[in-house]
Amino acid sequence: MKWFRMSIWVVFCVGLFIGFSAYGNAQQKVTLRFSDWHLAEAPWDKTLADAMALFEQRNPNIKVALEPVSYKDKETKYTVETAAGKGPDIFHLHAFSLPMFFDKGFAKDLTPFIEKEGGAKFLEPWYPLCINMMKYKGKIHAMPGDYMSMVLIYNTELFKAAGLDPKKPPKTWEEFLEYNIKLTKPPERWGVAVLGAKDPGFELRFSPFLWSFGGDYLTPDNKKSALNTPEAKEAFKYFIELFTKYKVMPPGVSTMNAQDVRTQLAHRKIAWEIGSGWSAPIINSINPELKAFDVLAAAPLPYKKKKVTTIWLSSWVMNPNTKHPKEAWQLLKFITSKEMELNWFVKNRVTSSRKDVSEKAPEILNDKFASVIASQLPYGKVVPQIPQWPEIMDAFTTAVQEAFTEMKTPEKALADAHERINGILARKK
Amino acid sequence: MRLLKIKDRHMWTFFVLPGTILLVLVLGFPAFQSILYSIYPEGGGSSYTFNNYSILFNDSVFRQIFGNTVLFVILSVASHLLLGLGVALILNREIFAKPLFRLIALLPWVVPDVVAGIIWRWMFDPVYGAFNDLLIKVGLISTHVQWLSNPKLALLSVIFVNLWRGFPFVMLILLAGLQSIPKVFYEAGAIDGASRWQLFARITLPSLKKMLAVALALDIVWEVRRFGLIQTMTQGGPGNITEVLSTYIYKQYFQFFRFEYASAVAVVMTIALLMVSLPYIWMISQEE
Repeated sequence: MKWFRMSIWVVFCVGLFIGFSAYGNAQQKVTLRFSDWHLAEAPWDKTLADAMALFEQRNPNIKVALEPVSYKDKETKYTVETAAGKGPDIFHLHAFSLPMFFDKGFAKDLTPFIEKEGGAKFLEPWYPLCINMMKYKGKIHAMPGDYMSMVLIYNTELFKAAGLDPKKPPKTWEEFLEYNIKLTKPPERWGVAVLGAKDPGFELRFSPFLWSFGGDYLTPDNKKSALNTPEAKEAFKYFIELFTKYKVMPPGVSTMNAQDVRTQLAHRKIAWEIGSGWSAPIINSINPELKAFDVLAAAPLPYKKKKVTTIWLSSWVMNPNTKHPKEAWQLLKFITSKEMELNWFVKNRVTSSRKDVSEKAPEILNDKFASVIASQLPYGKVVPQIPQWPEIMDAFTTAVQEAFTEMKTPEKALADAHERINGILARKK
Repeated sequence: MRLLKIKDRHMWTFFVLPGTILLVLVLGFPAFQSILYSIYPEGGGSSYTFNNYSILFNDSVFRQIFGNTVLFVILSVASHLLLGLGVALILNREIFAKPLFRLIALLPWVVPDVVAGIIWRWMFDPVYGAFNDLLIKVGLISTHVQWLSNPKLALLSVIFVNLWRGFPFVMLILLAGLQSIPKVFYEAGAIDGASRWQLFARITLPSLKKMLAVALALDIVWEVRRFGLIQTMTQGGPGNITEVLSTYIYKQYFQFFRFEYASAVAVVMTIALLMVSLPYIWMISQEE
């Protein structure tokens, strides 16, 4: 009897212990690691921090730990951490880096979550092009984020000072050159600066030159370089001669990155740049005295044979190593919701990959920058989505730098890049 | 130890063992992994191959980058030794405010590579840069120079910054060496009528031999691995003019995701480094 009573007490105590432990676990907050290069950049950091605070308020059992990363180092950080079985639960990527991440298994398949939310109906609000870019072997491995086209961002006051009408921006690349010659007054000012550094932003700015002349980087099957076509050669020469022959670009253009170019525009050293929705807020934060939102204006990019521009698309990736996939999906859904995408635009002027935001929100339709950016989305084109792309772009940027610095003629530099890119593509993967 | 019944002559293993295990884990394991990766075929596969090495040695860009690295290391180390020795000789003399000058001379060494790279990149900017302005004001140049965009100047500009950044370490080692030379040697030399050059060549230099070897070996290793400065200043450009092995490996591994090929380059770099530094290490150990 004594043993029986003792056993009951033991069972009772164990039951109590298990019960309290379960209660404790239920009360324990799940911490999600959230990483984005915008967290390291004003003015985006505050908007993101506020959004995450709102998410935590609505999901009291989830805490979000913010992890800033520099734009340039994000791939490095995520690669190293994910390969080591760790890394942020959710991270933000340039969509053009996705093929390498997909290829290495560094992005979780989101299809099961999407199916639970309603599958195709859930994805309906997004542009089909954006959804397609998130697919790997038919499954969705990321969610689309910012979606913008590249446009001309120019200083209307400098236009007036040079005797140009700010309401009549150039329509063709020939006019673009004429405008630049009028705007250039060295050493005080140059017409345009285009980044020539080995920077991920290079392809966004250069590609419209190449495509609108009728050229392309690769053949349609992505198997060979297409840089040996007369159109590609013409586009490349035109681009290089803006600096070497016409001298409408400031010195040192081969080392300039996107921020260097924006700094020059902010300080009136150049009259325009190829940018997008992020340009005015960043330029305003560099030099508030310029009054960027009033002085700057946006216009579609000039063209040669066809109207075309580069598409900027970002993506949200769930780490395959996440220990909290349900909560991470909650966060993904929240960031890509209509409410948050609109909030992102209102605060930071960045248009969305959601049609119900970019095509319908009056805030976008009435904005002088966003309306131009949204109007150019139908002319948008993306660079090839293949794992070898960063290496191909490096070979191409090397050629641009060699031509800018006159180490090689534009023809020779492009021919060398063509050969090297064919070598990269021929390599067995 | 008595409790464990370990003989005195074996006791040293007990003290060395933890450190050795740690070294093997922290250095040995990743090194072994790298060697293994370097003989995997690119893009996966089960059989081992030397294909990555074959690609590497047949690549003209790799050969150019290897040459850049050799040039960068030779010029950097030589300039560090010359300037380091010169400044150490000056600071070893009885001069006004010696401790202050010693502190000032050490400052560049305290600045992290990345910070130094960003600062100098701005200073070299052809439009805003302070460096051009300064040289124009003192009359050394008449127009703005493109220090990092000019193919003839880019590598030299990076080496110049590396000289500024790295000479204090050599200076520090040589200064310690200079202070350990007994003054009576110089006094005896002076009594024998030796000139200043003879005192330097016959007393100072031979006394510094060991210190010079240490500085040389360490500096070579560091300069071959120099990454942050070049990555922040030029990213290897224009073209591949300033690309060195460390930035190339980073690019292949983290930007192109060519893990196997990057490992092969890293193995080649390590072998080259060992070939250069081992004679010095052997020389020092012989003298010990």
